[in-house]
Amino acid sequence: MTDRESSPVALPQTHDDRWRASRWEIVPAMPLPPPMNMALDEILTERVGAGERPPTVRIWAWSGPCVVLGRFQSVRNEVDEAAAERHGIELVRRISGGGAMFIEPEGAITWSIYAPDAIVQGMSFPESYAFFDAWVVEALRALGIDAWYAPLNDITSANGKIGGAAQARRNGAVLHHTTMAYAMNVPLMTSVLRIGKEKLSDKGIRSADKRVGPLSQQTAMSRQAIVDHLIARFAGAYPSQVGDLTADELAEAERRVAARFGQPAWIHLLP
Amino acid sequence: MSDSDLAGTVRRRGACKTPGGKLVIVDFLLERERLRDVVVSGDFFLYPEEAIEPLTAALEGMPVDLPPAGIAARVAAAIPPGAELLGFSPAAIAEAVRRALTPETDDD
Repeated sequence: MTDRESSPVALPQTHDDRWRASRWEIVPAMPLPPPMNMALDEILTERVGAGERPPTVRIWAWSGPCVVLGRFQSVRNEVDEAAAERHGIELVRRISGGGAMFIEPEGAITWSIYAPDAIVQGMSFPESYAFFDAWVVEALRALGIDAWYAPLNDITSANGKIGGAAQARRNGAVLHHTTMAYAMNVPLMTSVLRIGKEKLSDKGIRSADKRVGPLSQQTAMSRQAIVDHLIARFAGAYPSQVGDLTADELAEAERRVAARFGQPAWIHLLP
Repeated sequence: MSDSDLAGTVRRRGACKTPGGKLVIVDFLLERERLRDVVVSGDFFLYPEEAIEPLTAALEGMPVDLPPAGIAARVAAAIPPGAELLGFSPAAIAEAVRRALTPETDDD
């Protein structure tokens, strides 16, 4: 959440026809332990790919604070584990690449989109990132927030970076998940995340100039009101219905947490 | 940056941020002028994810006197067909290795 692109990028075509090609299931937020959220992303991607579940948008909620590492990040390079433990912040690793996220349940807005690969057919990876975030940028602009998409995977604004996305591809399906900052506890975040000088020196911009623009600084709306707005925009534009996780999906997630996502071998995959 | 482990072997680490892209960090043990126990990490994207294994293996046992172009070529040759690197490159990995091996210029 520290990068910032300095110039607006033209909104990509929204490819509404692709969004409208199927009926979406919207799964409302259910507070879950962080490793369950990791496991569900893998399972729902697989099941959408297998045609066992319709294309889905899942809104996330968290039972507690955590740091979510990207698939390729090293624990020791990214996290002060002792500080995380002291503050009761859990460490988890997601299946997609990208950067570490510091999550407090009321400070972040996260969702996952699971769709068959056909939705991004013919698009490059960078184009597909822009495609999946385009509707969100429009939804934020509808709130009067001067937001835009910044390659490769950021949603940013005149007041700083708002959020970032990551993708994984599995089993004929694409997972695109996005986290936006609603409110940030910067002192706590910087005590837990190691944010190196290299990371902050992109294009010669000094760290002091780097800004994040959490949504709470850009609108008076509550976190929940923003989530509701996003869902309403999506449901208003694309065919969709509210759904839920099945008991079987939750049971499978429990199994994968026990076998993998809650295990040090995965969390410390890169020490 | 370097730390000593219990055996007294020096662990080196170097990082390279691709402009407009992502950070790649390479860390390893320096043993008899070769790289050992290499870890390639960062906030980049790589599809498929499993391609990280051959990319990392390409650096294992590499002699420290290999020039950056040689390192990059070795990494590039290890990328599985169809794999896609987003936000980093063989050249960025080579630069991270170079920085790890020249601690005086390492700003980490």
